[in-house]
Amino acid sequence: MRLRVWGARGSIPAPGPETTRYGGNTSCVQVELSDGSTLVLDAGTGIRPLGLALPRDDRPLHILLTHLHLDHIQGLMFFAPMFRPGAEIVIYGPCDPGCPESSLRSRIGRYLSAPLAPVEIRELPCDVSFQEAETTEWEIGPARIRAASVTHRGPTLGYRISDGGRSIAYIPDHEPGLGTPLQELEDEWMSGLELARGADLLLHDAQYTDEEYPRHLGWGHSPMADALTFARRAAVGSLVGFHHDPMHSDDQLDAMAAAGGAAWVARGGEPGGFALAGEGMAIDLAAGAANGARPSLRPAPAAAPDALLFDGGL
Amino acid sequence: MEGSRPLELILARNLLASLSTPSFLVDAAGEIAFYNESAGRLLGRRYEDSGPLPAAEWTTTFGPFDDDGQPIPFDQLDLTQALRGNRPAHDRFCVRSLEGPMRWIEASALPIVGAGGYHGALVVFWPVDEDGER
Repeated sequence: MRLRVWGARGSIPAPGPETTRYGGNTSCVQVELSDGSTLVLDAGTGIRPLGLALPRDDRPLHILLTHLHLDHIQGLMFFAPMFRPGAEIVIYGPCDPGCPESSLRSRIGRYLSAPLAPVEIRELPCDVSFQEAETTEWEIGPARIRAASVTHRGPTLGYRISDGGRSIAYIPDHEPGLGTPLQELEDEWMSGLELARGADLLLHDAQYTDEEYPRHLGWGHSPMADALTFARRAAVGSLVGFHHDPMHSDDQLDAMAAAGGAAWVARGGEPGGFALAGEGMAIDLAAGAANGARPSLRPAPAAAPDALLFDGGL
Repeated sequence: MEGSRPLELILARNLLASLSTPSFLVDAAGEIAFYNESAGRLLGRRYEDSGPLPAAEWTTTFGPFDDDGQPIPFDQLDLTQALRGNRPAHDRFCVRSLEGPMRWIEASALPIVGAGGYHGALVVFWPVDEDGER
């Protein structure tokens, strides 16, 4: 598997001169499976440049939505394959236990319809279908997908993708320490832990500094310390902090990355096993698969637009 | 998935851990999955010291007890029957603290039902006298 981050910002896009290195687009991660097919994790505004860069492919595109907050679906309307006749797109997302008869299609349709959008789902020329993701396991191509409900505001899933002997856990919006000191929780009581346990790579919410978190308690996101505690408890190979606060500039994120990296090592993590996600960040999980080596967390390229274009590789 | 509590119970535990009202969580199998600090003070044993308790152990240790002082089996409680029917329930019991005499409590219970069905119940309780006054 190979990953590429197309958007790592949380809450709302944050473009501007202060966010050129980590990027301002909201959540979207491209996963290239071992057979060359593509999975997309979330459809924030980062999916727009991904859609422009994707080569035409007859195989279905699978989009796994963690939840339906706007920063995770806003880019759907501008995803080029949605407007390509013949493209087959399958969108997965959480069911709504409070209203089981409300389908995923109808809930996404609230956004993809008037007055919020100029087109309706039924007008899209592609072949798009919607599936409530079971909180269990299923297969997409060569990958096994597992979904589980996690602590956030509203129905929210985390995903685990396993392919070719490697595994990724993606839990971008998650507040497992809500109401209880995370380090004191037993494993069985920690939201999302089984999903992440032993994964080679975990992309996890690290929106706030520890100092900021008390002012945002219950908003559904984690402070850096909880992201680290969660990752170490899950014994993941590497941790990539995700869902950056829109108020955090590149310089602030650099400081968080440095502090997080030091804390990761202090907690027993391998040096180099922690990074903050940035647009253009590419991670090759196939490299070193045979010996279980930790993937290299390449930093994002320095904002050259061309670097964000898909070039046949990640 | 194995080894993980349903999210609905995890969220309920987070709430209970923040309450000063004595309260506990029962899982779908009837095990006392968690009780908070206030409940632990009232019962004389902290959750951190006991961990989860099977229903049978809970009832023989803490009650509730009938008028003869015999523990009432968990399955025979009206409250249990109501919860398994996905209905809230309220009742008055006699329980025993490990550090003191028998005492009366009133308990209100809410079933926890999520996408996967019945996951257990959230129970809050408070001490009262025999006439039901606090």
